[in-house]
Amino acid sequence: MTAMKFVGQSATRIDELAKVTGAAQFVDDLDFGPNLLYAEVVESPHAHALIKRIDASRAKKVPGVVRVVTGKDFPYTFGLYMQDRFIFARDRVRFVGEQVAAVVARDPVTARRAARLVKVTYEPLPHVLDLKEALGEDALLVHPDLKNYSHCPWFFPVADTNIAHWRKTRKGDVEQGFREADMVFEDTYTVPRYAHCAIEPHVIVGQYDLAGRLTLWSSSQSPYTQRHVFAEALAPLGLKHQDIRVITPFVGGGFGGKAGVSMEIIAAALALAVKGSPVKVRWTREQEFYNTYQRQGVIARIKMGVKKDGAITAIEHTLHWDAGAYVEYGANVVNAVGLSATGPYRVPNVKIDSVCVYTNLPPGGPYRGFGYSEFHFGLESHMNRVAKMIEMDPVEFRRRNAIREGDTLPYGAHMNPCGLVEAIDKAAAEIAWGKKEESTSPHKAIGKGFACFWKAPAMPPNAASAAFLKFNEDGSLNISVSGMEIGQGFLTVMAQIAAEVLTVPPGRIRVETPDTDRNAYEWQTVGSHVTWGCGNAVKAAAEEVRDKMLQVVHRVHGFAKEDLYFEDEHVKCRSKPDFALPFKDFVISGIQTPHGNFLGGPILGSGMFMPEFTSATGDPETSQGGHPNVHYTVGAAGIVLEVDRETGKMRVLKAVLAVDVGQAINPDLVRSQIVGGLVQGLATALYEDIRYSLEGKLLNPNFTDYKIPTALDIPDKIVPIIIEVAQPDGPFGARGVGEHTMIAAAALVANALEDAVGLRIKSLPLTAEKVALELRGIRYDDVKGSTMGLCFMGDPQQYAFFTKNSK
Amino acid sequence: MSIACEFDYRKPKTLSKAIRLLAKRGRQARVLAGGTDLVGWLRDALVAPDLLVDIKGFDDLKGIGVKNRALVIGALATFSDVLESDLVAEKLPLFREMAGMVASNGVRNRATLVGNICSAVPCCDAGPVLQVYNAVVHVRGPNGKRKIPIGQWFLGPRKTALRPGELATSVAVPFPGKKHAGCFVKLKRYRGEDLAQASVAVLILAGREYRLAFGAVAPIAVRGPRTEALLKGKALSPDLLEEAGRLAVEEVVPITDIRSTKEYRALMVEVMVRRGLKTAASRLAGKGPAYGINVMEEDAP
Repeated sequence: MTAMKFVGQSATRIDELAKVTGAAQFVDDLDFGPNLLYAEVVESPHAHALIKRIDASRAKKVPGVVRVVTGKDFPYTFGLYMQDRFIFARDRVRFVGEQVAAVVARDPVTARRAARLVKVTYEPLPHVLDLKEALGEDALLVHPDLKNYSHCPWFFPVADTNIAHWRKTRKGDVEQGFREADMVFEDTYTVPRYAHCAIEPHVIVGQYDLAGRLTLWSSSQSPYTQRHVFAEALAPLGLKHQDIRVITPFVGGGFGGKAGVSMEIIAAALALAVKGSPVKVRWTREQEFYNTYQRQGVIARIKMGVKKDGAITAIEHTLHWDAGAYVEYGANVVNAVGLSATGPYRVPNVKIDSVCVYTNLPPGGPYRGFGYSEFHFGLESHMNRVAKMIEMDPVEFRRRNAIREGDTLPYGAHMNPCGLVEAIDKAAAEIAWGKKEESTSPHKAIGKGFACFWKAPAMPPNAASAAFLKFNEDGSLNISVSGMEIGQGFLTVMAQIAAEVLTVPPGRIRVETPDTDRNAYEWQTVGSHVTWGCGNAVKAAAEEVRDKMLQVVHRVHGFAKEDLYFEDEHVKCRSKPDFALPFKDFVISGIQTPHGNFLGGPILGSGMFMPEFTSATGDPETSQGGHPNVHYTVGAAGIVLEVDRETGKMRVLKAVLAVDVGQAINPDLVRSQIVGGLVQGLATALYEDIRYSLEGKLLNPNFTDYKIPTALDIPDKIVPIIIEVAQPDGPFGARGVGEHTMIAAAALVANALEDAVGLRIKSLPLTAEKVALELRGIRYDDVKGSTMGLCFMGDPQQYAFFTKNSK
Repeated sequence: MSIACEFDYRKPKTLSKAIRLLAKRGRQARVLAGGTDLVGWLRDALVAPDLLVDIKGFDDLKGIGVKNRALVIGALATFSDVLESDLVAEKLPLFREMAGMVASNGVRNRATLVGNICSAVPCCDAGPVLQVYNAVVHVRGPNGKRKIPIGQWFLGPRKTALRPGELATSVAVPFPGKKHAGCFVKLKRYRGEDLAQASVAVLILAGREYRLAFGAVAPIAVRGPRTEALLKGKALSPDLLEEAGRLAVEEVVPITDIRSTKEYRALMVEVMVRRGLKTAASRLAGKGPAYGINVMEEDAP
């Protein structure tokens, strides 16, 4: 390949000026005029109860109240992969904070006051918060009608249980693998729920105009998917896709929390209820925590067999997920893990059970990493412990088993090109692996941690991307796509891809945020796939444009198309060196012929991309036979951690992460992803600590008691390392990188902690408190009291895994 | 942020008018100064007053000065004022160390030190430091002025000796009159802004007099008289530090809540007392670290 001019360069973000000047508009910045109405939601105080009666008569009398809406007004379900969620709770509530009704008023304070006057009579029911209870015999059912719910074909709910989905992957023969092993080691790891904590809470304005047009201005990662879910849910009212328009201005962080549809359905419904007026639903920080999505909790048991030479012979990985009250999106997290819970290793014998369990806690859903951070904590902790038992260096152990191109994946397909060994070697070298460091402080110790990671996008097999591209009179370009700029630099990267094909610099290319009426289709901005998927679509559109331009020049000047090429926004010709036609001279108005007429016209193009090689048709009992994942991105990371033995406090002195991105379209943006991902991941390891009461109420839906790092709490030094083993089907060889950068973090800390002070902790988070107590022989679980920090209440190490039908 | 409850808001021109308003409405009235606690409580409907009396306009209550050999911190002096005051830095740098650990810059710019002790939550940062200096709260009410020693000020969580109708106008911190040095130690869940999981204020006066006070490990900020007695007159040996730490734990009654288990609080009180005493002693000897470090997070250079 010839040297590239724009791809591989750290181009300035094309949204930079808008962001730094404050010109960038977010949903809450948009002005809807004096007729804008405000909604306040009436929430369930119970984790599980029957709704006996809703009396809104007092609320309706409050001056300024326009409408009170309840489940009776919109008796419809919705959901991305499973139709199990309700626009407003109908008949029963399933988690504390669930929307039961909404008051629409002329100002927010009136709405809030009136909402308090809506009297809801409940009949409380027993609730199930604990996974053990949820999976027990005669368990209370969160969804008695589960068997009647429609869902995507790759989900396997178990009727009359709380199991919403069970992904089984079987490769080889694990029992045989364990027999062949010299050592078999088994243990249990637990990861609680987490919240995304995007700086911008969810906000959406809906307007159903008098002509029957429903427009939504939404803070979302998924405009098209939102439109589709709205159209499905509201179909009984006669709405179709063409009637619905979703506009997504800039977003203040998503991290998966703004994928799919959660609270947005409320605005769509309320807009229909107050036809003619726009209505705004804006979540508070508290609601952002408990009524969008949360990262799901998991209890995972890992059994691993190894030979003395370090070869892994078998992995049995059983994961029970606390998916919450609705799993319409979260069950796909469970599914993704069920296909990939071996980690980036070549394992001949595999048995994975990933079980999605309903509980009466807030709905689980997508969160950066999509389940991989959760299972890597246990797996990468286990890798270190197994290495220690066979007296092998943990980095060498990983290297020995590292997956390589062509290896057979757990579901039978083959591994894409990857530079895992290179990543391992570079990350290990950067933290001087093997060299012990001493703290200058008498009460501190320094340890090093290492972990590998992998992740594939979790997408339906026909998740597609499309792009439009058009020229302007000055030779500048507009790209129209519906991937979302959620901070990652998507818009800039799309411009760089088009720039590379057309030689128009990114600074002369505008890429705007989506509007489903005008922008080309994109499934969703999730799964770290848009650089790859949408990038391919933009590249295809740019190539179509290039062909059209060459065709025009060919028609007018008669040059062979093979002789024509682009350079610095000119069409040039190898057979006529003095020919140089500036784009701006013809891309709108065409080229004049000797006869005085013009050929050509406004140049525009379109491109599309769908991974045509994927399928979700694997056997339900083994997952063999399909090709559910497009590719895996792999990498390795290390940290140097200082631990205060007296206080348990930890400080990351250095963090290193090497990731194989195929081709960094924009190296600065990749490095930013690495820094951001590590900081977010380390926060889940060290600080974030969600707490529920025994009644299922979230106790810390705020930054007073749910801690995300400040500038003082980030590592002293982060070293990003970019590995580039090209992805053959990616644009210029690129593959996804957004989520991967946080996946290793929790295991890094756990492994470094053990290296520093000899303490192995098997449950997240690894707070200073937990470390200090455990260092003194006090088990945190024994003293934590009734404010449970996890998705279960008993001792996780005694947890009995539900293995019925799991052969 | 929408506040759903309704209340009257008054900003009287004179202090005596404010006192009259407060006296008339009694417990239904709330004083608004920085509002960093009160506005949050209103939003969360934890309080539902009928009346807010805004005292922000009273110049008499502003600022930090010296009067009768005491540092006088006015009711409107913010933590940022304390942090930036040259007078505080020179005379009572322990207050500066404490103020620097209160919340974040934005909150410190509004939150007042006197408001902090009027809110009287168990984790209030000002409490332990005022305790070791035997500070006195100056109060005005419908029946005139009175002075309340800090030891009698806190009655329980969110309860003070302030009577309905009364307003805390300032807090006076008497200068110890001899060479002294201190250390404020705050246990937080991370280095960023946080409410104290536990706090310890240490003050050592020339002549080997030791004072200790604790926050967030008892219903109110409390002194540690037994530990002080143990230490009195003695030089700090490693053994004595250990013993003081152990004894201090017996003087507090930590509970388990969302911020910490009582077990961790107790363990950390021991560590905090040891580190606080050691740091204060080296400061007294003129070689300790500058005020402003948190010895739970970093070692003295």
